[in-house]
Amino acid sequence: MAREHEAREHEARENGAGRDNGEARENGAATGKDDQGTRGGISRRAFFGGAVASAAAGAAIGVTTTGLTGQAVAGAPASGQPGSSTPADETYAFYGEHQAGIRTPPQDHLVFMVFDVTTTSASELQVMLAKWSAAIAQYTSGLAVGAVEPERELAVPGDTGEAEGMGANQLTVTVGFAPSMFDGRFGWAKYKPAALNDLPAFASDALTPQFTGGDICVQACASDPQVAYHAIRNLARMARTTATTRWTVQGFGRASRSADQATPRNLMGFKDGTRNIVSDDDFAQQVWVGADSDQQWMTGGSYLVARKIHMLIETWDTDYIGDQHAVFGRTKLEGAPLTGTAEFDTPDFAATGADGNPVIPANAHVALAAHENNNGTKILRRGYNFTDGIDSVGRLDAGLMFISYQRDPQQFIALQQKLGRMDRLNEYIRHVGSGVFAVPPGLSAAGDYFGKALFE
Amino acid sequence: MTPSRTSPARSRATLFALTGLAAASMLLAGCSSPASTAGSTTAAADGAAPVSNGAAQVKVTLTGNDCTTDYSSAPSGPVTFEITNTDAAGLSEVELMSDKRILGERENIVAGLQASSFTVTLTGGTYQLNCPGATTENSDFTVIGDATTAPSDVQGQLAEGTVGYGTYVEGQASNLVDAVATLDAAVQAGDVTAAQAAYAAARPFYERIEPVAESFADLDPEIDARVADVEPGTEWTGFHPIEKDIFETGAITDSTKALSTKLVADIAQLQTLTTGLTYKPEELANGASSLLEEVQSSKITGEEEAYSHIDLVDFVANVEGSEQAFEFLKPALTTIDPDLTSSISAEFTSVDAMLATYKDSAAPGGYKLYDEALRTSDAPKLTQAIQALQAPLAQISEKVATA
Repeated sequence: MAREHEAREHEARENGAGRDNGEARENGAATGKDDQGTRGGISRRAFFGGAVASAAAGAAIGVTTTGLTGQAVAGAPASGQPGSSTPADETYAFYGEHQAGIRTPPQDHLVFMVFDVTTTSASELQVMLAKWSAAIAQYTSGLAVGAVEPERELAVPGDTGEAEGMGANQLTVTVGFAPSMFDGRFGWAKYKPAALNDLPAFASDALTPQFTGGDICVQACASDPQVAYHAIRNLARMARTTATTRWTVQGFGRASRSADQATPRNLMGFKDGTRNIVSDDDFAQQVWVGADSDQQWMTGGSYLVARKIHMLIETWDTDYIGDQHAVFGRTKLEGAPLTGTAEFDTPDFAATGADGNPVIPANAHVALAAHENNNGTKILRRGYNFTDGIDSVGRLDAGLMFISYQRDPQQFIALQQKLGRMDRLNEYIRHVGSGVFAVPPGLSAAGDYFGKALFE
Repeated sequence: MTPSRTSPARSRATLFALTGLAAASMLLAGCSSPASTAGSTTAAADGAAPVSNGAAQVKVTLTGNDCTTDYSSAPSGPVTFEITNTDAAGLSEVELMSDKRILGERENIVAGLQASSFTVTLTGGTYQLNCPGATTENSDFTVIGDATTAPSDVQGQLAEGTVGYGTYVEGQASNLVDAVATLDAAVQAGDVTAAQAAYAAARPFYERIEPVAESFADLDPEIDARVADVEPGTEWTGFHPIEKDIFETGAITDSTKALSTKLVADIAQLQTLTTGLTYKPEELANGASSLLEEVQSSKITGEEEAYSHIDLVDFVANVEGSEQAFEFLKPALTTIDPDLTSSISAEFTSVDAMLATYKDSAAPGGYKLYDEALRTSDAPKLTQAIQALQAPLAQISEKVATA
């Protein structure tokens, strides 16, 4: 491997077209506002999980981190909010207690790639992870790694160049390790978290080999799709002798929300993420792995569950609105629970209609996923809509690239065991891809790299 | 590659499309100078790097965006550069250059990993230490002592390698002449079965030296054009229309025989053209890489041998040709960049092992037929193995360039 990691494109900095505006935002958009400041007592519904915001007032999101060049990280407006900088110039700090791309307000675009590690050498893997870590620090600052146009005639460009001059575009790159990484190939077996195991088979699974398995996942999110793709493409390139690409999904629209974002819609036309996790307490209790886990290296990390969910949107589009409401347990335009009138009204699962049946059917998606009906279990959803053209039998190939973060994969497993069995939505969706990954905590500073503790 | 029949007539095109190399002087490294006694450290004069264990010791530090050295000069003789990356996310490589040539380098010096070093033997003169991406990328490094113009080991090895490669090409061309004669005999005799076997036996000799053959822009399309490459109104000649007749149609006609006669003549012409050719090291390097491009662009898709489906035979031949070119550069490359060299060797070993699993002595050419089922199941795996090989292989051209 020669030049992939060599140079930042210093010309970009010098001519003022640099992609680094010199300021980084907190890992998770410090807005100075708490989420209660913009929304009142909230109850929000969502596609999966039905997490609810904590009633406790949330503190400003994010942890204070140190920027790439050592300066303290300044707060900046969250995505979608008017501010002095455009999304093209905005950066999220890469170094910090937690990895960026989890609590970070969902950007508009996703490229999710899963790699197979092909080397059997732990030191080659170590070099790859160290190179990736340094490279991600550069990309998320809006910088290239390696010259786009090397001076020497016979030199192969280090950076592929398509993101040149585009800015960081809020890029975050998040890395996770599948259970297979701990199978003994790299001496990691003793570091395997007890919670990290392949997901069990669920009722109604329709998994396909081309969207399952793999060793390492990389989630790149940005406000521009080309910037996200550039990061993934170049990471794949610098890993070429060490890891191969296994499966990938490109998401084109966020399908979840954070505290200061309006609730987006999934491809079924329903709001998704109304009840997503937003509060500090929920992040501490439901998302971040605590110091009490069996593997100290995971403290501050999380577990990522990825499910590529194909939606049968043509048949969904022929379903009458009353049934669509009953499937979700919510109204389509407002997103209100069927027992309320406004999106953030708390659903009343006990309310019954004149016929004596629950107003929100017991097998409606929101009823099955709500934390009230799942012993308080919540997950952070961070999914994206996707399309992959036309499928092999002539249908639109589209759906939701479901991504959730939780402190234990069991949270997802418990919910999906119930949903897979009973959810009325199953008539219109197929889970075709799947993966579970241990997402290590954030890196402390340059010189730290993903998996460093696992090579000791 | 897609040879065109409409290329303007010209003699041998620049091999492998190599253009624009600036001439560089022959300021050379590698002549041995007496080393100081092992184990001792000698205070150097004039602020030059101290000599320890027989080599001047220079420390290079990558930090922030900067690349700094503790000494900017050394006495002539072996010089060791020890490189440490403390926290430079954008820097990972240090090269010692003489004009535009790389004399020694280290890559993958990533923040957080261990220090790395390389040693080169230098004669008096001014060199450049290059840290790609640093605030100051190039800084002069002065070696105090006698300059010399005698060729270094590396230059000698490269020259030897190019001569060796020339002999290899001539050998392949000679075998190709014989193999095409066998094919022609079968075709003229109307023996379809024998022609099929002879066709599969002949193809590898061409595929191994394809970048050289393609440099003859007028001749290559006459020999190796696929039907889709032929301009309307132009005659389709060479291997592939014969392939179509003997594998798809299964009938040898007068037209087949005429095609075969012409192929014999064209291959004889190719042998004449390739005899006595000389090559530059970077041409070997680019040729090695372009053979792997061939694999990815036309073999992996099954386009090359659309009728016989012996694409894996061509695939293996392309890889063999690439490996040969690399082997001729290897002695010099081992000095210039030992890590990269061993990485490429390991990738060739792994690709060779993968290809060996497709051997089938009953199939024409000795490899499984690359039919649709095999392509569907195995193409992604083959692509990734070739990409893993080509990524490091593409880096060697600039390292062996003699300009």
